Amino acid sequence: MKKYMLQVKGLWKEFSGTNIVKGIDLTVNEGEFVAIMGQSGSGKSTLLYNISGMDRATKGEIIFEGEDISKLDDEQMSRIRLNNMGFIFQQSHLLKTLSIRDNIVLPGFKANSSNRETVTKYAEELMRKTGIEQIAEHDIKKVSGGQLQRAAVCRALINHPDIIFGDEPTGALNSSATKEIMDIINGVNAQGTTVMLVTHDAKVAARADRVIFLSDGTITDEIVLGRYQEKDFPDRENKMKEWLGKLGF
Amino acid sequence: MNLNLKMLKNDFKRNRAGNVALLLFMILATTQVVAATIVVTQLLSSMMGMYNTAKPPHFLQMHKGEINQEAIDTFCSSYDGITAYQTVSMIDVYGDDIKIIGDKPFNLSDSRIDISLVKQNKEYDRLLDDNRNVIHLKKSEIGIPVILLGAYEINLGDTVAITNHGVTKEFKVTAFVHDAQMNSTLCSSTRLLISDEDYEELYGIMGEKEYLIEAYFTDSALASGFQTAYEKANLPQDGQAVTYRIIFLLSALTDISLAMILIFVSILLVMVALMCMKYTMMAALEEEVSEIGTMKAIGMSYKDIQNLYLKKYKIMATAGILIGYIIAIILSNLFTGHVSSTFGKQPVSLLTIGLPIIGCVLVYFITNHYCKKILKKLKKVTVVDALITGKGFGKGERVRDGLYQSKKMPVNLLMSVRETLHNFGGYVIVFVVMFLVIGIMMVPMNLLNTMKSKEFITYMGSSTDDVMIEIESGENLWNSYERVKKLLTRDPDIKEYKEYRSVRIEAYNSKKEWMNLHVDCGNHAGEELKYLYGKAPSIENDIALSKLNADAVGKNVGDCITIRVDDKQMEFTVSGIYQDVTSGGLTAKAINTFPGVESEKYQFTINLVDKVDANAKTLQWRMHIGGGCDIEPMEEFINQTLGGVAKQVEIAAIAVMVIGFLLAGLMVVLFMKLRLAKDVSQIAAMKAIGFTNFDVRRQYLYKIGMVSLIAILTGSIFSNVLGGKIVSLAFGIMGLGISKVTFIINPWIAFLLLPVTLLSVVVGVTWITSRQIREYQIISLINE
Repeated sequence: MKKYMLQVKGLWKEFSGTNIVKGIDLTVNEGEFVAIMGQSGSGKSTLLYNISGMDRATKGEIIFEGEDISKLDDEQMSRIRLNNMGFIFQQSHLLKTLSIRDNIVLPGFKANSSNRETVTKYAEELMRKTGIEQIAEHDIKKVSGGQLQRAAVCRALINHPDIIFGDEPTGALNSSATKEIMDIINGVNAQGTTVMLVTHDAKVAARADRVIFLSDGTITDEIVLGRYQEKDFPDRENKMKEWLGKLGF
Repeated sequence: MNLNLKMLKNDFKRNRAGNVALLLFMILATTQVVAATIVVTQLLSSMMGMYNTAKPPHFLQMHKGEINQEAIDTFCSSYDGITAYQTVSMIDVYGDDIKIIGDKPFNLSDSRIDISLVKQNKEYDRLLDDNRNVIHLKKSEIGIPVILLGAYEINLGDTVAITNHGVTKEFKVTAFVHDAQMNSTLCSSTRLLISDEDYEELYGIMGEKEYLIEAYFTDSALASGFQTAYEKANLPQDGQAVTYRIIFLLSALTDISLAMILIFVSILLVMVALMCMKYTMMAALEEEVSEIGTMKAIGMSYKDIQNLYLKKYKIMATAGILIGYIIAIILSNLFTGHVSSTFGKQPVSLLTIGLPIIGCVLVYFITNHYCKKILKKLKKVTVVDALITGKGFGKGERVRDGLYQSKKMPVNLLMSVRETLHNFGGYVIVFVVMFLVIGIMMVPMNLLNTMKSKEFITYMGSSTDDVMIEIESGENLWNSYERVKKLLTRDPDIKEYKEYRSVRIEAYNSKKEWMNLHVDCGNHAGEELKYLYGKAPSIENDIALSKLNADAVGKNVGDCITIRVDDKQMEFTVSGIYQDVTSGGLTAKAINTFPGVESEKYQFTINLVDKVDANAKTLQWRMHIGGGCDIEPMEEFINQTLGGVAKQVEIAAIAVMVIGFLLAGLMVVLFMKLRLAKDVSQIAAMKAIGFTNFDVRRQYLYKIGMVSLIAILTGSIFSNVLGGKIVSLAFGIMGLGISKVTFIINPWIAFLLLPVTLLSVVVGVTWITSRQIREYQIISLINE
């Protein structure tokens, strides 16, 4: 029997008198890669921020690893974000006053202050895997967007999270940088980490196991693509295009 | 609506915190500058106003005993530069003789000030009322000097009964007297005014006679030359001699101290206000960098943009200055009350209104110039900096790799320490403001503590023993001395006593002319004084000189000085130089008792055995010895002498402390508001990766707390070291005989209470303002 990583039940989000998310029900299995697509203003980012506990839902339940996180206070939610979740934004949102390496180790130090050596070693391993070990000590203002986003991925992975959330993680990158980042994310997912991301890009969504389509705050359709393998990519991309075409996207 | 006003209104709505802070700083700076100007103007104009009517002497010699008026006339009429002279007679009475009969009858037995009865003078040295009019009393009326009102509750209409030599005379209080030459508790004498008729009636049958020989010159600076010539001519001189400068300074010392504190605080406060203005303006410019870029992109020139901002700051400066001026006027009574009570009511004049306005205009121009200087940064920022690269105005934070090397330090503390170390520039305003604020609070507090301490009395040339007995010159000098000596030898409550006698000898001055030297001699002479250089005299031929005397004879420690006693010359060595404000600062100390030289006065200082109450003992001795002696517990002496000054300094110190705490709190609110607004995305990013609100708030607390702690510590050390030097410089400039004031610091206040309270205010305000962090949503990252 499949284990649920996330169960969303009747989720509503209202903002300034307008309902952005309207009673969404959704489940995400452990190890699954789910992509969310939709028109601008469809509520996909809002859904992601509410599911990840970064924003408070107006109504509904969010069961994360068996616990309703919608009822948690700031401290409890922060602990879950720190230990169990990783997040990649469209912009890297690294801390300006820290170097690349320090940005990556920071959540690790916060979560595991007694074993900082292990955290640092893991950060170095992640940087090596993502190809940014040469810029470890650099100022974040002096490296490229692609490198920054790789650093953000490393930061998201430093505490071995159970799930990674991404809000347009490749939205500000060119195609080659996008491929590099998505290869890393697929690699992490292949090792068992659940991934849920919002994207506009069909090529990015084509790498997911399942794609959900959101329209006006509700899920209107979804497509199951199955586990990602690089050799299947053209087929998956075509399937996606066909599906999106039907949805008028 | 005018476009500029509309923009200003919008700007005020958008950046309320920054603009309110800016306005408050303007108000604070103006209030302080105007208050200081008002005090200084009032003080100077009141003194001048009073001196013009009262005409205090340029030279004054007090004398107890008989005088030869003819000899004085002959000397004075032939002295070059003299414009007038007069001899004023007085009837000396004791505090015990004077009973005030009002709601609760009491006498003035505990007054340490010598009290005399006088009649009004015709042309010079006149005694004035509250409105600075010359007082003319009718029979049985009396005028009470205002300096007695600080210590005693005496009201108009009270009866004053004076009993002496078996004669009793009653008067009704009908005026309060402003005495230009004796209006400070620092002077040792005061005058009660009675009518000519009563004076003639009592003269010769009541009290002892004392004379004031007064002289006036074309230039008051001629007084010191006259003094030397007068003393050399062997004219009456059994008493203190003072010149115009000392009269002036002693009268104004209390208010000068207050004015000095206000000026010092004003300068620092304007500096703080300007720094905070710069910070606020830079924060506003940073925030509006894209608008500035857009304005430049559509073709607006630097001057156009500068003017746009300048108009806003000009309007705010004008508003701040107007409000500050009104507040200062309202509060000014608090600071000028003492000036009015000492020098009489100052009528409104062009000067008293004009100078504070000039102060305001000056503040306006300084801020305007400063704003222009800051706005020059607009010139440097390019459209690309503003709109494309996001470089803006700042240099950006410095980044230094190395957090990962930390092994143990808690993460919040680690991040805070690294940020303050590597980006101290971002917190420099907190450092400078806290550094200045602790200085603003510490210097007046230390000055107050110094003035209140027992040791400060050594600057007055006095000892720190429990009780002091002084026998002033007069006909009964020797008898009084014998009586006191007998009493002290027999009293078992005395642990030890020291006796000194004052003599007048002559010494060569720097111009190789003989000048008079008043020497206090005795086995322990000069022992308790704090020496600027050298030490107390230890052998017969040693002499210690006051600073002003050492300057007059042109000698340093170790130099030989030729002394003449009854035409016999002796060589002495200067063993030390000390500070003294008594006798015009012109004193000396020696072990040599100069036998054969007539005594001017005797002084005993007494230490009592443990647990014997000095006040009770004093009362007992007063009853036993009777008149002719001043017997004072030292604490009471300090209280009465310096109480007035200390009270004014205390008012200023407390006011300054309140301003300091307000300023520190206000600055933290301003800093936090602007800093949090700037850091909003960084805070959101931290929250996103798992930092709690509490973590982030703690980081701000650590950062501001650490910077403040360092600033407060260094500021405390600086104020405690440099503060004394500043005050010394001010006293030195006044020429009072004090050139070095070492602060007597109360370590509990200076190193614990003040710094800890200031730090607590900073930490408390930081914590409260950091609550705003709870409102920051991570979702704001996607809305950037």
